[in-house]
Amino acid sequence: MVRLEYIKKEYEKTRQMPGKWYLTSCRYKFNITRFQPFLSALKEKRLIGLKCRSCNTVSFPPKLVCGKCLTRPDQWVSLRETGIVATFTANYMKDETTGEANAFPVIAVRQDGADTTYLTQLNPKVKFEDVYVGMPVKIKWKDNTEGNLNDIDYYDCIDDPTQKMDSLTK
Amino acid sequence: MGDRQVAVVSAGFCEHASKRSDVNMAELVNEAVHNCLNNANCDIDAVDAIVAGNMPAFEGANLPELWMTDWLGARNKPLMRVTTGGSTGGSVAIAGYYNVAAGLPGIETVLTVAFEQQSCGNTSVGLSSVALGEISIVNALGLPAESAMRIFGAGAAIGIASYQAINYMNRSGCTEEDLARVVVQNRRNAAKNWWTHLKMPDYTIEQVMATPYISYPLRFGMVTPASDGACAMLYTTEEKAKDFADIPAYVNGVASVSHETAILGVGGAGAGQLDPCEQVGAVESAKLAYAQAGISFPEKEIDFAEVYSPFPNQELMWLERLGLFEENTAHLRYRDGTTAPNGELPVNCSGGVNSTNAIGASALERVAEAALQIMGKAGNQVPKTVHSAIGHGWGGCINLVTLTVLSDQPRRKWRAH
Amino acid sequence: MDKVGIVGYYQVQPSLNLNMGRYEMIFNTVRGALDSVGLKRKDVTSVVSATNDYYDGRTISNCFTVEAGGAYLKDESKVEMDGAYAVYYGLLRALSGHHKLVLVWGGSMPSCFPYSSSTLLSTDPTFERPLEIINDLTAGGLQMRAYMNKFDVPAEDIAQVAVKNHKNAAKNTSSLPESRMPDISTETVLNSDVLSSPVTELMYSQPCDAAACILLAPEQQALKIRDDPVWITGVGYSQETYYLGDRDLSRSQSMQDAAQMAFRMAGVKDAKKEIDVAELYEHFSHEELIFAEALGFCDPGQGPSLSTEISGGIPINPSGGGMSGNAPCATGIIRLIEAIKQITGEAKGYQVKDVQRAIASGQNGFCAQTNMLFVLEGGSK
Repeated sequence: MVRLEYIKKEYEKTRQMPGKWYLTSCRYKFNITRFQPFLSALKEKRLIGLKCRSCNTVSFPPKLVCGKCLTRPDQWVSLRETGIVATFTANYMKDETTGEANAFPVIAVRQDGADTTYLTQLNPKVKFEDVYVGMPVKIKWKDNTEGNLNDIDYYDCIDDPTQKMDSLTK
Repeated sequence: MGDRQVAVVSAGFCEHASKRSDVNMAELVNEAVHNCLNNANCDIDAVDAIVAGNMPAFEGANLPELWMTDWLGARNKPLMRVTTGGSTGGSVAIAGYYNVAAGLPGIETVLTVAFEQQSCGNTSVGLSSVALGEISIVNALGLPAESAMRIFGAGAAIGIASYQAINYMNRSGCTEEDLARVVVQNRRNAAKNWWTHLKMPDYTIEQVMATPYISYPLRFGMVTPASDGACAMLYTTEEKAKDFADIPAYVNGVASVSHETAILGVGGAGAGQLDPCEQVGAVESAKLAYAQAGISFPEKEIDFAEVYSPFPNQELMWLERLGLFEENTAHLRYRDGTTAPNGELPVNCSGGVNSTNAIGASALERVAEAALQIMGKAGNQVPKTVHSAIGHGWGGCINLVTLTVLSDQPRRKWRAH
Repeated sequence: MDKVGIVGYYQVQPSLNLNMGRYEMIFNTVRGALDSVGLKRKDVTSVVSATNDYYDGRTISNCFTVEAGGAYLKDESKVEMDGAYAVYYGLLRALSGHHKLVLVWGGSMPSCFPYSSSTLLSTDPTFERPLEIINDLTAGGLQMRAYMNKFDVPAEDIAQVAVKNHKNAAKNTSSLPESRMPDISTETVLNSDVLSSPVTELMYSQPCDAAACILLAPEQQALKIRDDPVWITGVGYSQETYYLGDRDLSRSQSMQDAAQMAFRMAGVKDAKKEIDVAELYEHFSHEELIFAEALGFCDPGQGPSLSTEISGGIPINPSGGGMSGNAPCATGIIRLIEAIKQITGEAKGYQVKDVQRAIASGQNGFCAQTNMLFVLEGGSK
């Protein structure tokens, strides 16, 4: 088999055709009515999740369909403001003024009382090298809540009781 | 009439590269189809039906199999198109299997084709648009578009891979050097295989570790390339198999099981998959496919594995989930050489997805390479005799897992039917 | 071929702008199909869906439908063609002996995307797309002109087909409300807006939002679920070449091949005598005539003289066919559901008498480049 033969050929006559995927002309429908209790609760700085009566899974943010049971969950339950980091990563974004690549940590939080995760951002002051799986975090609200997802400003670190236990045993 | 024994009798590839600008999509596919039919010493008249697939968003062409009818050889033949994201190739392989296994009169020899010409389109647009619907919904719920893009952009393929890497390293104690070792093995294997993209016979762990991070803990040197390429595979019945090949590879088990969407859920909401390394879908797939193939001890019975792993941590994770290694020990097997081509359980001797990734075709190439190892015709043939092998693929948000189990013996007829 | 039974079905009421989210639409369809026979999600062993990345405006359109489509931890796959092809894949899975109950759904929401520009994207990117001439409408115009010229058929005859289908749609409660026109005449059809001469607006199947789902089970299993399943006894499909210039547009080679394969499987020798009703997915009115000729109901060019009303000799599209609403990726399944209704006698208001054997078709591509045909039969009476 002749390797990489095609690279040696000349392609003066290769022509590229323009083509567009009109992605911006697509729209996405979503039932906001069933989300309304969740958004109203956010305005009051409360967190609620949806509980499936069949398998008792609590989803936060609420899921409109329970895949395990193929039912429509309809029971709202209150959740605490704390949670743990289920997993995390960092994106590297180039700062336009300095040209440096900055780490931008993204965490998946499992809210205490819920069974699902929520992708969100961490307090920008926390270095992402200090983040670990299982780290406890607490919600930080915006001062003026408006009843949308942006009311959650970010998640902040709190003292980890298990780490204290570790240092005591050492 | 159903439950017919199915065999793979031939596989063909075209040469993969980052930009195959000498051919267009249809001609690229045609190279692989020709190679496949030539290897089986037959022409297109022997084919009764065709199954094709790719990820259309990456080339910006909807339903490409319609206009490439003649290049596929599908004129006045039945053609079905199956696409499921990254696992498209695996789903195409499985659809080809079902076409033969169903036992419809007149459909005995089936050609499966999967392809991708990523240089035609914008791969990052293709990948980010996976979650575009969810992002727009979250945006409608009040999160500013910019931060939604940043947060959920991390949920695209590489983002989820880094979540998986973090969790895997956390639970198994595998280090970044271990990840680099996996990459080095793949790239060196690729150098021995004629159709692969990144051939690096002298790649070292130090070289990988010297490259910068693109998403912690994955480095630039660890990441899969974007390739142009196509793969074709020919299925037929047990009775006809010997006409095409001396040693056919029999398909004994297939499964494609999807778990909940990882990280992102319905309507941008939370997903029930707390640990992206958990991969219940892969475990279920393995259970189903091994049961069909009559394999009770995969770690002992399987001689060769081709797993779909664009990122090195995934190779370790899949090998464990598919029951080939003990939990959290896969990286140790790479250290002691079990997975090398001359080892006990060679893995990804073709170079794997880490060296060549024409996304739609990748998972079919896994099945094809597994079959070729059994038939003794692989580019980088392992020294030992391969009796049973697996070809694996994943797609979607790493939630749909396809698995094909091949063997040099037909399936034991144990099922009461 | 072994028989495969259709044990349940459900269809969302089509609408030009459905007041539901995408996942909700899929959930309602799948849940409805399972509830129609009192089955649970755990009974399903395999799920096949039909969606299209370009119609849904996202890569991997089946990625987020796992939960809503009932595919959680099930053997799942997606066919990116018309829903009829997903039914075919489901049929293969049921026949293979690996699966006991296969759930097939398909659907899309044209209210969320520009349908004709997405068909422009499925043209040949080298020669046709830069010109932006060919899309589904212009291809339909070319096909209709070719048919009219070849057999000397006047436009009134083709408008007559649209009139029949719109009148039938008015009797069908699950048709698109906008397509129900009990008082339509050939003049109305011919004087409606021209889409692509000679095709006018009322000869074109209007894209609408809908989803449909059916449940397939192999013979033994189907009889356990219900006493009177409808059986798929034959299936055939074929694809002809793409370029319109390479094809004789006045006839349909692919439908002829598909019919040959399906009728041989089902043991049908004389289609005209043995088929009681046909549900054909026609994108444009003239395609119904071309299909009827390809199926062997009459000689080429004789389509307009067939008596295809509900009470006619060979009723075609008593539900209204593609004219009663065309939901991309779901229409093939909806045609199948309408054929089932005719066999089980559930088609209230548009029931054909004594239906034993029916056919249903699905298509894909310009000028019906590829066609899928199913032969359905009722239980033994």
